[in-house]
Amino acid sequence: MDPLTLAAWSFPALLLLIFLRIPIGLAMLAVGLFGSWQVYGSAAPLLNQMKNLAYGQFSTHSLSIVPLFLLMGQFATLGGMSQALFKAAEAFIGHRRGGVGMAAIGACAGFGSICGSSLATAATMGQVALPELKRAGYSGALSSGLLAAGGTLGILIPPSIVLVIYAILAEQNIAKMFAAAFVPGILAALGYMLVINLYVRFSPQSAGQIEPMPWAERWRALAAVWPVLLIFGVVIGGIYTGIFTPTEGAAVGAVATGVLAWQRGGLKGSKLREAFESTASGTAMVFLIVLGAAAYNSFLALSQLPQELAMWVGDQGFSPYQVLWAILIFYLIAGCVMDSLSMILLTIPIFFPMISGLDFGLTPEETAIWFGVLVLIVVEVGLITPPVGMNLFVIQSMAPDIKIRDAYRGVLPFVASDLLRVAVLVAVPAITLFVVRLNP
Amino acid sequence: QNVTLRFHQMLPPQATIPSKAIKPWAEKVEKESGGRIKVQQFNAMALGGKPPELFDQAKDGVVDIIWTVLGYTPGRFPKAEVFELPFLVGDPVAGSKAFQEYVEKNAMDEFKDVKLIAVHVHGPGLIHSKDPVTKLEDLKGMKVRGGSRVINIMLEQLGATPIGMPVPAVGEALSKGVISATTIPWEVVPAVKVQQIVKNHTGFTGSKGLYTQTFAVAMNKASYDKLPADLKKVIDANSGQIAAAMFGQAMADGDKAGLGLAQKGGNNVITLDAAETQRWQRTAAGVRAVWYKEVGDKGIDGPKLAAEAEALIAKYSK
Amino acid sequence: MTHPVYAISRAMAWFGAFVLVLLAAMSVISIAGRALSGLGLGPVPGDFELVEAGTALAVFSFLPWAHLKRGHAVVDLMWRVYPAPMRRMLDILADALMFALWVLLVWRMGVAMLDYRDNGEVTFILQFPVWWGYAASMVPATLGCVVYGWRLLETLGLITPPSGFESAEVVH
Ligand code: NA
Ligand code: NA
Repeated sequence: MDPLTLAAWSFPALLLLIFLRIPIGLAMLAVGLFGSWQVYGSAAPLLNQMKNLAYGQFSTHSLSIVPLFLLMGQFATLGGMSQALFKAAEAFIGHRRGGVGMAAIGACAGFGSICGSSLATAATMGQVALPELKRAGYSGALSSGLLAAGGTLGILIPPSIVLVIYAILAEQNIAKMFAAAFVPGILAALGYMLVINLYVRFSPQSAGQIEPMPWAERWRALAAVWPVLLIFGVVIGGIYTGIFTPTEGAAVGAVATGVLAWQRGGLKGSKLREAFESTASGTAMVFLIVLGAAAYNSFLALSQLPQELAMWVGDQGFSPYQVLWAILIFYLIAGCVMDSLSMILLTIPIFFPMISGLDFGLTPEETAIWFGVLVLIVVEVGLITPPVGMNLFVIQSMAPDIKIRDAYRGVLPFVASDLLRVAVLVAVPAITLFVVRLNP
Repeated sequence: QNVTLRFHQMLPPQATIPSKAIKPWAEKVEKESGGRIKVQQFNAMALGGKPPELFDQAKDGVVDIIWTVLGYTPGRFPKAEVFELPFLVGDPVAGSKAFQEYVEKNAMDEFKDVKLIAVHVHGPGLIHSKDPVTKLEDLKGMKVRGGSRVINIMLEQLGATPIGMPVPAVGEALSKGVISATTIPWEVVPAVKVQQIVKNHTGFTGSKGLYTQTFAVAMNKASYDKLPADLKKVIDANSGQIAAAMFGQAMADGDKAGLGLAQKGGNNVITLDAAETQRWQRTAAGVRAVWYKEVGDKGIDGPKLAAEAEALIAKYSK
Repeated sequence: MTHPVYAISRAMAWFGAFVLVLLAAMSVISIAGRALSGLGLGPVPGDFELVEAGTALAVFSFLPWAHLKRGHAVVDLMWRVYPAPMRRMLDILADALMFALWVLLVWRMGVAMLDYRDNGEVTFILQFPVWWGYAASMVPATLGCVVYGWRLLETLGLITPPSGFESAEVVH
């Protein structure tokens, strides 16, 4: 088989393995190694390539940001930050219509600003907010929908592991990617709050309210969240102003949240061990996929499929926006069943050369950053779209009394707000790019 | 018989080496083979791995040909390393030719696992800084990015705080103050937009640069041995001095372009006078002592190799 | 949880996280040193390469525990549709693939380690031999072979796993 045909066939082969529930990273590793072996025509070059494969990937400096951000999220939870954020938001808006739900979104956004992972945000905030939402009379559909959507703020608002991986693949500056993602992330949070407001208007029986809190209590609740603001300011501010590199920023964040958790008595015995084990599982999950993607992407490059495909797209005379929309829609569809990180690792090496060859009236760097933020949003939608929406599963695992069908129904309005936001950001690149343009 | 050779390297396709040296070299090889050799260029580590692994990728046949920075694998090429000593190399064409002959005479054992196409150097390395560097003392305590092991030792000797980072990180680090100066040749300046970020550039009287880095183009032995005799001839005809000069020339042209950009931007291009240059050379000479001792421990006669390198550079600089 | 394979995997996960904490602390010290370079302080020498080698060590230490916990990303959309014998076969396939590929990778990694030992390559700043980093990671990587092999035997039904780990339910 010639390399191009082989590479084309590797996609269905990979999907088949994935649908047979072979771990995604393992499937990519197997298909990638097998493909390279075929293209080389002998085992020797492949065996030599494998010498550095695992250690080389695991010792990549820019990737060390991933476990550090995961650790930071764990420490933030142990420090009671998720609880404090929710309490503060609830104190101020809980008595309004849809207020407890909006408070949960606000707390998700706050937690997202010190946590790089969507699943961790969904899990942490779910733990804190689900009982409160239930007490305030929220329906299972609305509470699971809003918490699943709120969880995506974990990657939409920087820091963000998915964005780090994109930046590495597309050879972009991580600090600029974070800066660009910030405003769209805030828009996402506002959009979700608006959805809750409308939802409650049309279906008043889905949500109740709580008693207004005295102002003294409000200020006390707000005072408890200053460490979050401080840590976010130091980490993201430090990365953006270049006082430290993104990896160093993650280290600062991990140390700061660790100290906070220790000072608040959260680092005791079994709690700490659990946090360590979660960091271990999360990191291992990401790095197995990274390892598999490295093998698979070497094979694809070897076959020259990405170059040929980019050239083919260039020759067809599609308009840049047709190509962009085709890619975004592809992600939305794939996201129904695929995991966000695997999608990025699998497809950016193919799609990015296509996009960078097109003229959107932006500089090459702006195109790359803008495209990255758009991709971030559409793969994030995959976390909440049925049937495989990881965040929905996370929330549902915590509240087994909520039927998954109700969760699917409850999340759809939030998906709609995501789609609307994508359309706006495609139409007006400046929303994404203006922060980057402030500081060229 | 038609052959496809995969050529792998770390830089993005628009950089000087891939666009002005590897591409013409590949086209020349393809043409002279009557189209029977096809060279597939893989840029920016597209085939996987990290830059320090490139040499082994050629050695092990993961790819057919590579271009690499020898300084990325410290300890592997102690004899070739002599060309990285401060104030040794100037013009990159003469330097590359001298380096090629030097390696063929003295250091082929370091390249015995590959079919060496050529080695080369870059143009005179100089300092690009936020605050002007007009004398040795200005360097004291300055956070300076150095590009290789030897350069970092040198910066320390000169009184600076060396900070190691890859070239792509330099622009960001400079503009944000993580470092306040960097050592690179003019050729690299446009790619990192250094001329926009800092306005002072300090070079030296005479032809010698502060330092240089060393590079190699290497082919997998088996990939070469497999070629029929006439295609081997094509590769041979594009190896050695011819290729070294070609890559050196690309560096020289790149230097001109970089310097031109800085001058057009009205930047402060400083040339230290002969007396000050001598002070730097004397201080940096300490690096030689360190280096002689290090390689001496490995049974290598450093002073002899350095003398040979200097003689060859003088020969080709005429 | 007293089972040695499980206990060791778990302890390795803790160890890896502890390495991460050390790396984070070192980075903070390095930043502080760099910021105070006017006072004659400086960054931790070789912080870059320490983070690289340390992260690799941590990741290799994390993998076995994640595997035992079934922590890897999977798509189980169709899982309930598959008949039980097929599910069993697929579980065996996944565990066998993991074991086989990992043994292959660790074997090659060992070869790389010996190569680096022979060719004398050292790191950029600290100039410690590159093979040391490989050697450190070889320990958890080799333990990984044992754990994956053990898990395969369990899936094949030849060994009984400790309680709490018998099912192949997805945790994600
Ligand atoms: Na985040
Ligand atoms: Na989905």
